[in-house]
Parts: sequence; C-alpha cells; structure tokens
Amino acid sequence: MAAIVNFDIYSEHSQLRRPLAWSLGLHLTFATFVVLYAVFIPGFGRNSWGTGGTGDAMGATLVSAVPLPANPTETTNVLATESKGLAKSEPTVQEKEPEAIPIPDKNTKTKLKPAPIKSATQRKPQPEPSESNQIPYGEGGPVSGPYTMTAGGAKGGFGFTGSGGDFGSQFGWYVQAVQRKVTENWLKYEVDPRIAEAKRVYVTFDIARDGHPSNVEIEQSSGVPSLDQSAVRALRRIDTFGPLPPDYSGSKVSVEFWFDYKR
Amino acid sequence: MIAVIMLLLLAAASSAQDWIRTGTGLGVERVRLAASDFKPSTPDANNVNLLKTFNDTLWNDLDNAGIFDLVSKSFYPLQVPGQPSEVNFSAWNSPPPNTSMLAFGNLGAAAGKVTVQGWLYDVKNEKSPQVLGKQYTDNATTDAVRVIAHRFADEIIFRLGGGVPGIAESKIYFVSERTGHKEIWMMDYDGANQQQITHLGSISLSPRISPDGSRLAFSSIDKGGWEIMMYSFDLNRMVSFPRFGGMNLSPSWSPEGKIAFSSSRNSYPNIFVVDASGGNLKRLTTGQGPDVSPTWNRKTGSQIAFVSGRTGLPQIYTMEADGTNLQRVTDQGYAVSPNWSPNGQFLTFSWERKYGPGEPGSNDLYLMDIASKQWVQLTHDAGRNDFPCWSPDGRHIVFQSHRSGSDQIWTMLADGTNVKQLTFKGGNTQPNWSWK
Repeated sequence: MAAIVNFDIYSEHSQLRRPLAWSLGLHLTFATFVVLYAVFIPGFGRNSWGTGGTGDAMGATLVSAVPLPANPTETTNVLATESKGLAKSEPTVQEKEPEAIPIPDKNTKTKLKPAPIKSATQRKPQPEPSESNQIPYGEGGPVSGPYTMTAGGAKGGFGFTGSGGDFGSQFGWYVQAVQRKVTENWLKYEVDPRIAEAKRVYVTFDIARDGHPSNVEIEQSSGVPSLDQSAVRALRRIDTFGPLPPDYSGSKVSVEFWFDYKR
Repeated sequence: MIAVIMLLLLAAASSAQDWIRTGTGLGVERVRLAASDFKPSTPDANNVNLLKTFNDTLWNDLDNAGIFDLVSKSFYPLQVPGQPSEVNFSAWNSPPPNTSMLAFGNLGAAAGKVTVQGWLYDVKNEKSPQVLGKQYTDNATTDAVRVIAHRFADEIIFRLGGGVPGIAESKIYFVSERTGHKEIWMMDYDGANQQQITHLGSISLSPRISPDGSRLAFSSIDKGGWEIMMYSFDLNRMVSFPRFGGMNLSPSWSPEGKIAFSSSRNSYPNIFVVDASGGNLKRLTTGQGPDVSPTWNRKTGSQIAFVSGRTGLPQIYTMEADGTNLQRVTDQGYAVSPNWSPNGQFLTFSWERKYGPGEPGSNDLYLMDIASKQWVQLTHDAGRNDFPCWSPDGRHIVFQSHRSGSDQIWTMLADGTNVKQLTFKGGNTQPNWSWK
C-alpha cells in the first residue's frame, strides 16, 4: 500500500517537472516584457490622469446657479443662523462618569485602598478659554425678517464720502432708504458656501427720477464670482427705490454701493 | 473731432449727476419716527372728535407699516409743533425722543369742511429738513378724516420705505358667517368698516379680488353645484360667469387678469385656466389629483403654485403657467393654502409638518423662498392657522387663526411679529388682501 502511494507521488513528481519549467519560463518572459514595455514605450511613465490632453482648447462657461433638485430631507433652517445674534451658547457642563463599583466576589479579598489625600492644591488653575465668536447651529439670535432674509453683519456708523453734489447731506433719508432696500434684497445664501470672507465688492448704478435703478455694473470685483453675482442680483431684484426727492433738481443719481461679505 | 465730441458728452454727463456712496454693514435699522399729535388750527367744536380719529388712525398706520421704530409719545417734548416754524430741532433729535423723522401738522374744521396740513421732517438735518409737506381738504366727517390719515401715512411710508406704496387704503375680503350663512364680506386693512358684499343665502367661499380691484371671484354652491361666481364693484351686483359643471373651487387671479381654478368637470379635480370673461378654458394638470388652490406668481404671472393630493397627503407643487415643469416643494406632512408674495420670491402656506395619529403637530404658517426652497416658520403654538395671504406691499400677511377660540382674521408682519386680530364677531375665514 505504502509503495503504491510512494510510486504515485514519485510519478506525479516526474510529470510536473516539464510544465513547471514551461510555466517558469513564460512568467519570466512576461515579466521581462512588462519591464521592457515600461522602459521603452513612451507615455507609460507619464502621469496623465485628469489632465485634459493636448487637444483643442476647452471653453468653460460660468453658470450663476446649478438647478439642484428639491431637498428630499427636512431642510435645516439656515435662516436662523445667518445672523449672529447676541445670544451666547451655554458652555457644556462636563459631567463626571460615575465610578464603577466592583461587583463583590466572595473568593477574592477586597483590598482597602488608602483614601486619597485631598488637598486644595491638587487642581491646577486652568486658563480661561478665550471667547469664541462662533455661534453653534440654532443658537443664534432672532431670525431676521423674512422679507429681508439677509441679516447684515456688523453694525457701524453711517457715513458716506460724497463727491460732486451734496445729495447725501441734503437727502440723507433717501440714501438710507437705498441702503436699506439693497441690503434687504441681498440674499447671502447665493454666495458660494465655501467662502468665509471676501473682499469688498463695489457696484455702481444710477437711480433715475422715478427711482428705477439702471446701469448696474461691478466697479471692483471681490474675486469671488458668486459674490459679485449676488450683489448684481440684489439690484436686479429691485424695481424702484421710490422717486427721487422732488426738491432735487438733477435727473438721476449715481450710487456706488459696496457689499461686505462675511459668513 | 469725434473724440472731442465724446469728451464733451462725457463731461456733460458726469457733471449732471450726484454720487451716493454707501454699502452694507452700516447698520440696517428701522427708521426712528415720531408722530406728534396734530393740533387744532380753528376754534371749532368738531375738532376734538376729528383730531382723535385722525391721530389714532395715523399712529396705527405708521405702527402697522413694519418699517418704523415709532418713538413713544411719552418721550415727546411738551411743546409739539403744529407748524414748521414751531419745530424745535434740538428737542427732537436728541434724547429722550432721539428721533430722526418727525411727522406733525394741524387740522381744522370750518363750515362743514376740514383742512389738514401735514409735514414730515428729517430733524437730524436742520439745513433742509422737509421730506414731505401735504395739505388735504374734505368734508368734516370722521370717515373722511380717516381716509386723509391713511393717505398721509401712505405718503410717509412711500417716501421712507423705498418706494413701496403703503397699504393703509387697501381692503381685505373674507368669508363671514355672522348672518347665519357664509357670505363674502370686506373691510379696511385695519379691520374697520366691515361690510357685507354678497347676499346669496347659500355657502360662498374663497373670495379673490381682481388685480384692478373691480371684480371679485369666489366659489359658491347653488342648484348646479359648486361654481365660480363673479361680483362687480363697478356695478355693485353679481355678474354672469360661465358654468363649467362638476365642482369648481378656489379661483385665483393672475396679474394679467386670467383666472386659475380647480374643476372636476373631467371627473377628477384638476387645475384649469380661463380668461377674465370665462372663455378660452384650458386644462393645466392631468391625473386623478386632486389638484386644488392654485395661486399665481404675482410678480411674473408665469408660474402657478397649487395643492395636490396625488401622492397621498396634500402637498404644494409649482408649475409654469402652461402646466410644464411640475415641481414639488414640500416634502412631508400636510401642506395647503399656498399664496405667492408680490415680489414673486416667497410662497407662504399652511403646513402641518408632522401629520398623523400620535403626531402632536400643529397647523402653522410657513414661508418658503422659492429659489432655494429654504423655509421659516411664522406662527408658533397658536391654534390652527390657515389661509395666509400677502399684503400688496409684501410686508404683511393676513390669515385665519383659531387661537382666540374661534376662527378669526388676523394680520402679522411677514416675519411673524406684530400679530393683530382684525375680526371679532361670528366666524370669519379665508381672507384675501387686495392687490393695491
């Protein structure tokens, strides 16, 4: 019985030698081929992923908005967070985990640990964490009015450096109405959400006698296309600022309006 | 030569205009306005009554406008002006009143006529303070004085509110059952002057005033079933309107004067559109629906929002005015009564966001920005609220609420603040604000 087995194994051995040699030879040939291909065939070593190739020039058009489908899930109300209110979030109270009570075992002897010495100096004074300006989700101030939906950021003094006529000093109330109306119609959510802060955009436009804005132009771009767009759109959204003051003799007023964006 | 002409033209153009330089982040605050009581200008016994009506109406209108921070009368100087010469600038433009605008004037009755002079002063600008100066004359009745106060308030709101006309003279149409039948009524925007319009003795619902204010469409039941009815304010009577068969409900005017409504004439309730005369009937939606409560984009007239139960519970959908580009805008719950804002930007509607047994949902009003589909809740913890409708200035919303224990008409600013009750008698529902 054992001899037969031995014989079987032996004969199997002798049969395998030739194919093994072949296999080894072919594998080696293939490996050599791959190496030679990589070395000599041009273009293999070049990492050309993602580049557009050497073909024709490609034109890219900026679109103002991508028509996204309706949100299938419950929309989080971003309005509540657009304005940073006065409310400050409460610091989270660090709750101590209750100490695990060992289950008494009758076989093991419980060792009485010496009580830790409590001293007043054990706790090191922690530096007060610096106040963050950030307001967590949903804990901002009151929702800004929906017909404004914009919530201008910082508050500052009101001033405008007039040149030319004295429209600003004579009809301050009209200037304020213009300012209020543009700010109300500026929808900050149109700006690319990845932008946290941007340079000031300067937009110029004319107000005709009947209050209609025209010749809306970007005087100085912020460098963020979506922000520039949102500023122009704010003005496009406005039909009228109300007729110019009747006491004003000119036929139109030119306005330079800046938009400060800060998320 | 051409270059010289161009240069001359440019020079002419640049010298003929003034520049304003301003921007965001300068503090967008409401205008601080003081409205001092008008003074009598004639020694007439009638003045006391008229002045009280005038002062109360003016104050209410300015307070309701939603764009002013009205300075309380207790802060005013003892000596209030009745004439421009009596204005003491330093007393007004520094604390306690610390106002930037001051409305003042006088009223005098004489021989059955009343004359009102009113001014609006920018008291922080002593050099050229006058923003507005108006004079009105009418019969010496409280009604006429009320109208004058409304007009003067609207002038102030128009100037300081960026050219948006005030709503003090607008009307609200609604359904009231105080006579025992559901009839159409109307009132001033502040709830005054409530009067009955229809006397059909059946059930009339969903009044909708036409953009020019001359006609009122509503749905009413008679022998033939629910039909769209038409009332003319030019003729002060009902005028004929075609009957379409089936159940016809919830008419809605487009800015150009077309009417969209829900009709089940083809067995299922779908949205149809007809001309103001009732001709040119066109079906916009298909399927089993039911599709009801259409409302037009009031700015463009090119979109319609409506309620459909095609997926079960009613949801709000929008489509183009020709029925294409159907989009669902609410994703859950029970959403009804859409109404489009005058600037075309927002939809307001009644929404029970969590609907069903075991869901303690409440019926509240919401506002959605159509472009971004972001929404904000306007009413909170206050009974069932339904049938919101925008004011013509886009700053207010009138609605029906059950918060007082019965269905009544209420108004609020479009951000949900300044809620006021307008009706108190009987059950009053389904308000509709006039277009102007």
